[in-house]
Amino acid sequence: MPQVKIIAKNFMDMVASLTAIKLDKLYNNVFICEAILRSLPPLAKKYVLQLLFTDAPVTAKMMKEWVLPDGESKHGVAIDRLIQLRIFNESVDRKKETCYSLNPTFQKNLQKHIISGGVLPREPMNSNNAIKLPSLQELETYALHQWECFLLQLINSGQGEKLTGISSSMMKVFQRGLLSQRDRDGPRLTESGFQFLLMDTNAQLWYIIREYISNAEERDVDPADLISFLLELSFHVTGEAYNLNTLTDVQRTTLKDLADLGLVKLQQGRKDSWFIPTKLATNLSVSLADSSVRKEGYVMMETNFRMYAYSTSKLQCEILRLFARIEYQLPNLIACAITKESLYNAFDNGITSDQIITFLQQNSHPRCADRVPSIPENVTDQIRLWESDLKRIEMTQAHFYDEFPSKDVFEAACDFARQWGGLLWEDSKRMRLVVKSEVHNQMREYLHTQSK
Amino acid sequence: MVNAIKGVFITCDIPMAQFIVNMNNSMPSSQKFIIHVLDSTHMFVQPHVEQMIRSAVAEFRDQNSYEKPT
Repeated sequence: MPQVKIIAKNFMDMVASLTAIKLDKLYNNVFICEAILRSLPPLAKKYVLQLLFTDAPVTAKMMKEWVLPDGESKHGVAIDRLIQLRIFNESVDRKKETCYSLNPTFQKNLQKHIISGGVLPREPMNSNNAIKLPSLQELETYALHQWECFLLQLINSGQGEKLTGISSSMMKVFQRGLLSQRDRDGPRLTESGFQFLLMDTNAQLWYIIREYISNAEERDVDPADLISFLLELSFHVTGEAYNLNTLTDVQRTTLKDLADLGLVKLQQGRKDSWFIPTKLATNLSVSLADSSVRKEGYVMMETNFRMYAYSTSKLQCEILRLFARIEYQLPNLIACAITKESLYNAFDNGITSDQIITFLQQNSHPRCADRVPSIPENVTDQIRLWESDLKRIEMTQAHFYDEFPSKDVFEAACDFARQWGGLLWEDSKRMRLVVKSEVHNQMREYLHTQSK
Repeated sequence: MVNAIKGVFITCDIPMAQFIVNMNNSMPSSQKFIIHVLDSTHMFVQPHVEQMIRSAVAEFRDQNSYEKPT
């Protein structure tokens, strides 16, 4: 089965792929500089801070000496990253050696930021305006609810009811990679769609935002503006209200979409309207550094292959239905069983046993999670065994060679096949060879030249 | 001169290999598909029989699964 994986690609890779001019424009915003600094690998962060107040370029050789010999690979990775993001500019000095200097816009803005501290372009509104701010708890439930409705609508677009306000064209964009249109039965989830559902919330959030930004060009919104607004948003304080009249029109439309996703909450008073960022929004920049907020787990796995999920959410029920048979649903509990049939169903849809096991481990109930291992070994072993049972036979298109005139020709042919990575099987006693079909043409030409 | 035959190379475990050999022997001689049995876990068969082998193995697996009578 083809192993297609949606990689929650780092946001930074998208930023790095912008053109030089756009990147420079982005670096004019101090918050972006800080967010990018946070996302760099540790060695790269150190280099940036070390060169922050140096004006003259530093030679590459000198930078290499800062690192111990076994840190060479990390050094290479850090330097590559910095050049990719155009934070480091490479130049050749008078002694014909490569040296690096910081991007001047980036350097100036970061210096200003460090010295004067970050000042957001807008202030939180005063609480004596008689606004009823929702508590942090309420905000979190709101965000979770919106996000779940969005995900449900994403995967169940066959249902008639529209749960969120996102336009159907936007939904089509998000569904592009995840659902396939099949005329008879209605849209069905693709392999990547299933893998998407089993990812954790931050990874899902980043995938959706990435799709949103890549789609921005079609809607005449500059992606660089969008990225800078999103990163700025992540530096706001959760739970504080910010006035809407400090935003441009473009930012306002974006904000409406984000409210449907659960990143901000929009509220209206008598005169003003304001938005309140939720935890999902402020986590945007944190999750750049690959740390995830651990949600409360809800699944208990027993050794008799029964699973109890303490949850009332429809989305979680759908996700469990992917690989387990739902037995019954009580007001606070979903009882399911993992059976061979339900797993075969999941494997048919392209989910791997590793994904299922990671999902169970990440979402295990706190009581279960304390135990080592959090899922009983017989369950994990059996899931893996059932998967390998489907893969007992491996077949490859190949060519079979025999009747070699001499041992030397045989050995030479073996080496040739090995070099091209096509050698599948050899028998030196009877001088027989099996080579992948892709390499057959080169093999034939090689043997022709050998026999001459 | 070196001889080249086109086909499909199969790697599997020993029981499966025996299953495929058995299936081959039960076929009428015009439809026998194994070209060479290389060793106890590898063999070389004619092209185009991939799907047939897979469906036969799946059928065998289903016969071995217990379905609770409803």
